[in-house]
Amino acid sequence: MTNTLLQGHLLVVVGAGGVGKTTLAAALALLSAQAGQRTLVMTFDPSLRLKDALGVGDAAKDDAVRVVGVGPGALDAALLDAKRTFDRLIHTYAPDAAAAQRIFSNRFYRDLAGNLAGILEYMAMERLFEMQAEGGYDRIILDTPPTRQAMDFLQAPERMMHLVDNKAIRFALDPWWDGEGRRGLAFRLLAKGAMDLSDRLIGRRFLLDVVEFIRAFAPLFAGFKARAGEVQSLLRAPDTRYVLVAGPGPERVPDAMFFLRKLKETGHHLGPIVVNQLHPDPGPARGKAPGLELLRFLADRDRRGLELLRGLFPEGQEILPLALELDPPTDLQGLGRFAQRLAVARSGGAAK
Amino acid sequence: MPALDRLAERQLVLVTGKGGTGKTTLAAVLGHLLAARGRRVLLLEVESRESLHQALGAEPSGGAVVQAGPRLWFQNLRPQTVIEELVREKLPIAYLARRITESPAFHQFVEGAPGLKETALLGHAYRVLHGMHRPEVDVVIVDAPATGHGATLLAAPGLMAQAAEGGQLGEMARDLATYLADASRCGLVLTTLAEEMPVQETLELLQMLGTRLDLQPDLVVVNGLYPAVPEAGPQGAWADLLRARYRMNQEERARLARSWAGPLVDLPLLPLERGPALVAALADTLRGADR
Repeated sequence: MTNTLLQGHLLVVVGAGGVGKTTLAAALALLSAQAGQRTLVMTFDPSLRLKDALGVGDAAKDDAVRVVGVGPGALDAALLDAKRTFDRLIHTYAPDAAAAQRIFSNRFYRDLAGNLAGILEYMAMERLFEMQAEGGYDRIILDTPPTRQAMDFLQAPERMMHLVDNKAIRFALDPWWDGEGRRGLAFRLLAKGAMDLSDRLIGRRFLLDVVEFIRAFAPLFAGFKARAGEVQSLLRAPDTRYVLVAGPGPERVPDAMFFLRKLKETGHHLGPIVVNQLHPDPGPARGKAPGLELLRFLADRDRRGLELLRGLFPEGQEILPLALELDPPTDLQGLGRFAQRLAVARSGGAAK
Repeated sequence: MPALDRLAERQLVLVTGKGGTGKTTLAAVLGHLLAARGRRVLLLEVESRESLHQALGAEPSGGAVVQAGPRLWFQNLRPQTVIEELVREKLPIAYLARRITESPAFHQFVEGAPGLKETALLGHAYRVLHGMHRPEVDVVIVDAPATGHGATLLAAPGLMAQAAEGGQLGEMARDLATYLADASRCGLVLTTLAEEMPVQETLELLQMLGTRLDLQPDLVVVNGLYPAVPEAGPQGAWADLLRARYRMNQEERARLARSWAGPLVDLPLLPLERGPALVAALADTLRGADR
């Protein structure tokens, strides 16, 4: 390796959509396995791209599947199913089967909970935590979903802890809802006002569904909160590094900067930045060949983007240029060729 | 009937596609084409980082409605702002409204409630179209958020209507869902690149739209196509790369065309930065290709 891409126990690959994150995560995992490490690559992308690149089927849903053994090292792959993880968590933390059943049959849980912002991301982190605790892996490489939602991963544990402490939730747990409890008149009036207002805006049934959901969930909160704290520590551990993949050209630079700012703000450790899919300069070719002018433009645009990004960082930051592939890897061999290019990418060097 | 003729009759046009597929530029292109036909057009962008203004050659809107040409306006919209406005409207007591919109619980509700932000965005577009807004416009083109599937946006009002049944929000969402389902008033344009994953996701989206929402797009645009370089033409690594990109584009485009028999337009990758010149060039190509 001519770069530090493989440093760290947990590598999280982040970046906007369509910049080749998943392929890069898989290639990194292959390199890691070839270096003798027992390696797991996990993807949470619902489009299940990794399945194609690695040739693993639905069997890899939720459980790790062996892709290839390389001497002492090995490469496993797992595709995450967030809803399954959520269900399993409920089984784990519910005090008894009846409590779990109450959650599963709640309308809010069935229809909506899966769509709640941050919940699926949290489940992804939770599964990661389980895998790293049980799996005996030397290294785990995590591919994140495209777009900025990926950053929800980082804040998911915090949000989960926050949610459990939320005033609105404690309010929902209050026996006032059942016409019981020994609350004073002021509280009752306030609560009634809040209820009437919510009723006018979002409807009483929605409110009651949510209250019921929260109550069904309450016995699980302590376990959830403790776990979320552990997950958070894992994400911020010095041995957990974030590899940022950026697309080519100046137009993509603000996207990359967004991710970087978020990482920094939330106390996570940035590893190398990979600038992917750079168009190569056609060199001294002459004539009016179709495409020549276009490729010159694209190569120049991508070079300007790379320079712009380099200018925004201090000398020490690794920024690895990677050229657009002739043929994107569709099998393990192709992935191996891509991995070799990745292994020799150098900061400050030209695109490989 | 050419797709542009049909789109020109719509009130609301949603442009959806993954990030990096040229969605914003396409929204600007459609805005220009419909404005050129005499429609008054408002382009709505929802990303917190503005980029529509670049395509139009204007300054960032900062949330205001800005004119970008004859009969063409644009606005960057923050769903949070729209929801706060809604609360203020329903709650005439300013103090109370402020207490609500500033509370952490409200923020979590807005962030967390499924479909709420999407419903607010579409609700804003609806209100613009129904005269509660200046300038009056005939068409609103929404550059849909890149996050999640386009189907999420379209399904949101239905989901919200079901969840908040009985409340004012639920009623608003139900009206919206009915409106969106009306193909004579609402149109949909999908953009994709001719690459494996974008095409795969477009096919999944087409299927989901058909089965879950009974909707069909008016137009699918295949963006950023590499040009053909004849085998007998120039040689060298650069020519091989372009040929390989072209081959991949054609294979993926064919895969899309096998599952989508409706209007499909190809747009080339051009040696132009995002901006008015690119928009004008693509508008010409789109007009020419749409017959």
